[in-house]
Amino acid sequence: MNDKSKTPAVLVALTLVFCAMAMAFGLRLWGKPRPLVVNPLVDPQFISTATIRTSYVQLIRLKADLSDFDCYACHEKDKPPTLRFDTNQNLVVPQEHSDVVMAHGRHGRNNNCFNCHNERNLLLLQTHDARELKLEDCPPLCGSCHGPTYRDWEAGAHGRTSGYWDRAAGEFKRAICVDCHNPHNPKIPSRKPAPAPIPLRPAPQLPVVAEH
Amino acid sequence: MNSPKPNGNSNANPGPGSGLNRRNFLRGSAVIASGLAALAASLAPLRELEDFGSIDQFLQKYYKELTPEEMAKVLKRIEDEVEREYGLRPHVRDLKPMAGVEYVYALNLTRCIGCRKCVHACVAENNQSRTPEIQYIRVLRLPHGSLDLEKAEHNYSPESVPEKGYFYMPVQCQQCKNPPCVKVCPVHATWQETDGITVIDYNWCIGCRYCEAACPYWARRFNFAKPSIPKERLNPNMSYLGNRPRSRGVMEKCHFCIQRTRAGRYPACLEVCPVGARKFGNVLDPNSEVAYILHNKRVFIQLKEELGTSPRFFYYFDV
Repeated sequence: MNDKSKTPAVLVALTLVFCAMAMAFGLRLWGKPRPLVVNPLVDPQFISTATIRTSYVQLIRLKADLSDFDCYACHEKDKPPTLRFDTNQNLVVPQEHSDVVMAHGRHGRNNNCFNCHNERNLLLLQTHDARELKLEDCPPLCGSCHGPTYRDWEAGAHGRTSGYWDRAAGEFKRAICVDCHNPHNPKIPSRKPAPAPIPLRPAPQLPVVAEH
Repeated sequence: MNSPKPNGNSNANPGPGSGLNRRNFLRGSAVIASGLAALAASLAPLRELEDFGSIDQFLQKYYKELTPEEMAKVLKRIEDEVEREYGLRPHVRDLKPMAGVEYVYALNLTRCIGCRKCVHACVAENNQSRTPEIQYIRVLRLPHGSLDLEKAEHNYSPESVPEKGYFYMPVQCQQCKNPPCVKVCPVHATWQETDGITVIDYNWCIGCRYCEAACPYWARRFNFAKPSIPKERLNPNMSYLGNRPRSRGVMEKCHFCIQRTRAGRYPACLEVCPVGARKFGNVLDPNSEVAYILHNKRVFIQLKEELGTSPRFFYYFDV
């Protein structure tokens, strides 16, 4: 075949190839793109910056109902309440305070209300060295036992901070002890974790290898 | 030679198959027309390039070559594009590094309870794709008593955390002083800024994924599909090198919330951490939290420090 007679043949072949490709693309012979399964949006509780508990200080800031903290609605003034202990020297929590779980420390010996509360004025706290503190100024009281933690907290290395790292640019906020720790039961409670990463397809089940 | 005519005569004596007569003209036109139509049809997949963007975007210059006026135009164009797509006018800025600032992150492994709130706060802050899912932070669950990453598990989903016998180690971009990802980028689309943050120009990235392969921390994420962000969850506080919506085929990664930290704020993952395990600040300021931690706490690792990457992300213990 010379060039002349080759040309139409090549053209026809190319046309057929393009037609075949056009058909293939038109019919999507390479497979349709599989639509992705839309992942559910994460529950807003997992992106909330709220602290673990709502402390007295936050209640003041929120202008919430503070009647629970009005000790002298029930207690008598100038008459320190008496504490009762069972035979194992554990405090018997009176029914009126049944919401209080006495679990401060694993030793179980921090069981006297007046280690921290002031028996002469229940609206105040007291330290070992007889300093009187308001309920919203608890860190020095906590720090009187937890010295290293208090030092870390003052440096910003313990506890939650928010706002501005650059103090010149804006307000720096630091949570206090009771924003996260329940003073009567300070261990951080366990919680439900946010959802795990969603893989595009399920991971293969690997055989479980026993640990030695 | 199958042809009956010698080559030299072909011009003088055209054969029955050549020459311009009615039949040949029609045949030739039909072949050419169907060929062109088939060519057009075979290029049809190009029409599905939905996120090609605009000509301006295509012709945009490299980040470091943009003059302030050009950058202002680019930022406005991005705001327009985002508004058209999400129906919400964002505020896109190009924040520059501050003088005398070097960011360092410290994470307290004693405190972390593995609740993954940081992961999702990061997704929300940085406009990451929800489908398919892109997350900058990977929380590893490790058995007590070792730091063998081979035993790490990141798909754990128990009823409650922390679990007995395990500790948790969130891993994200370590903002290395000696970043392998920057070295391998063939187009200089990623580089280290003076405040220590390694950034990506999403308009310059060609999506070769070399950096993803080079990163020993698996910190870089690739947009295999067009990211999908629900309109109601779009964060309108954006930055050019940070959390503006990405397109398909570009890399992204943690940038220490550049849109917040360069404005003086804490990163989103730090603010959301319920136990205060995350600490961030300017290590050059001796009064900062991170300087205190590096001086006084048991800072035990930079992750994989034997690789010489020298991360700006430190893990420490309380006791």
